[in-house]
Amino acid sequence: MLRYIPYVLKTLWRHRTRTLLTVSGTAVAMFVFSFVGAVQEGLDRLLNEQQQDRSLIVFQANRFCPSTSKLPEDYALRISKLPGIKDAVPIQVYMNNCRASLDVVVFNGLPAKKLRSVRPIVLQTGDWSQFEQQRDAALVGQAVARRRKLSVGQKFSIGSLTVTIAGIFASAVAAEESMIYTHLEFLQRTPGLHAVGTATQMEVLLDESADAQATSKLIDDLYRAGPVATNTRTKGAFQAKTVGDLVELVGFTRYLGLACVLMVLGLVATTTVMGVQDRIREHAVLQTIGFTGWHIFAFIIGESLVVSLIGGLLGTGTALAILQTSSLALGTEGILIAFLPSASLAVTGLTASALVGLLAGIAPAWQAARSEIVPALRFA
Amino acid sequence: MSLVEVQQITKEYVKGDQKIAPLKDADLTVERGEFVSLMGASGSGKSTLLNLIAGIDRPTSGQILVDGEVITQFSRTRLARWRAENVGYIFQMHNLVPVLTAFENIELPLLLLGLSARDREKRVNIALEAVSLTDRADHYPRQLSGGQEQRVGIARAMVANPTLIVADEPTGDLDAETTEQILALLQRLNTELGMTLLMVTHDPNAALIATRRLRLEKGVFVESTPVTAGRI
Ligand SMILES: Nc1ncnc2c1ncn2[C@@H]1O[C@H](COP(=O)(O)OP(=O)(O)O)[C@@H](O)[C@H]1O
Ligand SMILES: [Mg+2]
Repeated sequence: MLRYIPYVLKTLWRHRTRTLLTVSGTAVAMFVFSFVGAVQEGLDRLLNEQQQDRSLIVFQANRFCPSTSKLPEDYALRISKLPGIKDAVPIQVYMNNCRASLDVVVFNGLPAKKLRSVRPIVLQTGDWSQFEQQRDAALVGQAVARRRKLSVGQKFSIGSLTVTIAGIFASAVAAEESMIYTHLEFLQRTPGLHAVGTATQMEVLLDESADAQATSKLIDDLYRAGPVATNTRTKGAFQAKTVGDLVELVGFTRYLGLACVLMVLGLVATTTVMGVQDRIREHAVLQTIGFTGWHIFAFIIGESLVVSLIGGLLGTGTALAILQTSSLALGTEGILIAFLPSASLAVTGLTASALVGLLAGIAPAWQAARSEIVPALRFA
Repeated sequence: MSLVEVQQITKEYVKGDQKIAPLKDADLTVERGEFVSLMGASGSGKSTLLNLIAGIDRPTSGQILVDGEVITQFSRTRLARWRAENVGYIFQMHNLVPVLTAFENIELPLLLLGLSARDREKRVNIALEAVSLTDRADHYPRQLSGGQEQRVGIARAMVANPTLIVADEPTGDLDAETTEQILALLQRLNTELGMTLLMVTHDPNAALIATRRLRLEKGVFVESTPVTAGRI
């Protein structure tokens, strides 16, 4: 079959305007398809992150946005003494925007010495001692660094907060690369936050044997009577609740992805049908020479496959390249969802284009393969 | 055994409640190495017969044997393979594939025979030489004159060295001078290469180059006596 490839390509090239229009339409649709896929993958990653059931988040009861939750910092000390608990770390959260946004910058302030043990991060540049010694030092996730073009030694301001960048880190948890870590005390003193002596939440690390449900209840029972009541959940449950609205929204984008695929199907099928109708006579001549109906079938499927795959390659490739360079993350209430390029997005994009190409070609290819030779020569 | 044996062939077309039967129980044989010309009034069924023998159409009844094989019983796919190996078809309008060069058009039948690229090239070049178009190998159909296009069509029909070449009014679209060239070429295929040809034509002069001349009249073949002997 390889020796027929030039014929297929030359045929497509002959109607290059039509071919290029279809390829571009396909590319645009597959771009959107891949982007939607990246959003879904980001959310799935967040919700299925492992070890999130081995840590708990203690939040102020009946509060939802991090800027309204305020727990006494010394809760951490008391909680860490409860049975089944390895450690409890107070975390102050600060962000420039509490609502869902693509350009949210989330700061987490932790006791400087503890950051290293509770977060799976690896410094790419800068160093830990610099971070631990300097009061306004910050470690910046590489996605934020890329997006905001930040480098070590630089000062970075957002709102009333100004930090000095002591390091840029990578993390095993993708979304974390869109965060900035500072000292707890520093963040507590952010003008306007009035947070000295308090923290937004406690992050509790469980022992291997501890039961997450029981321990959560233990903590909430401890503070039921005050001074500030708490609401404790596994980190996974906490994040799922926080991004709950987004899950629905993202679920809806599935239809957008489906619509893109259907659009490509319609587009490629239309082009292929037009190509077949233009060449009824040519196909009859080929059959007269001795090409079988199967040959004709394969040529036409080949055409629609090539168009669809080139479009898919362009669209998916562009989407992945943009995801790679822009390091986008969607933030809501202090939780970040990272949109990343991935091998599975590439495979899904290309597989979808290939399948659509095949599907779009079947009907016209079948029609051409079955058409009678003599009437086509006589009347076409 | 004759190369082509048309036995009791009937072809009917039904149009509404009207029945047209251009061929009714027609018999015809063509011997190996013959050049048969077929004339007849427009609509008398010449093309229909040619298409049946070339295996691109099926009769309503009767059978056709070519080289001992009953081609009228072949399946669609088997018939296509048979055509690739045994039939060269010269159309009235050359019918070249517009996106392919002269060389590539002529190469098409060879692609189906599983030849190596080098063998294909060798044979296409021989065919190009036979039709005196070696210098036009890389030209596309739109860059060729009508006569040149028809010569490419002839090269394509003969390149695979088929058992039988059929031509349906091969000069019907050409001016007098070009017609001469094309007829000379067809005659050479027969005399020099020993190919068997069956040619439908409207032109009595064209028919003269054939070794045997037939007329189709009311569904029956009639041997027609030559007006003058030999070529004019
Ligand atoms: N597909 C068809 N449907 C109906 N009638 C047809 C069809 N094809 C050919 N015919 C009729 O069959 C007759 C013979 O046609 P044809 O073989 O093309 O004649 P010729 O080549 O001798 O001019 C004509 O009357 C033509 O109208
Ligand atoms: Mg005719």
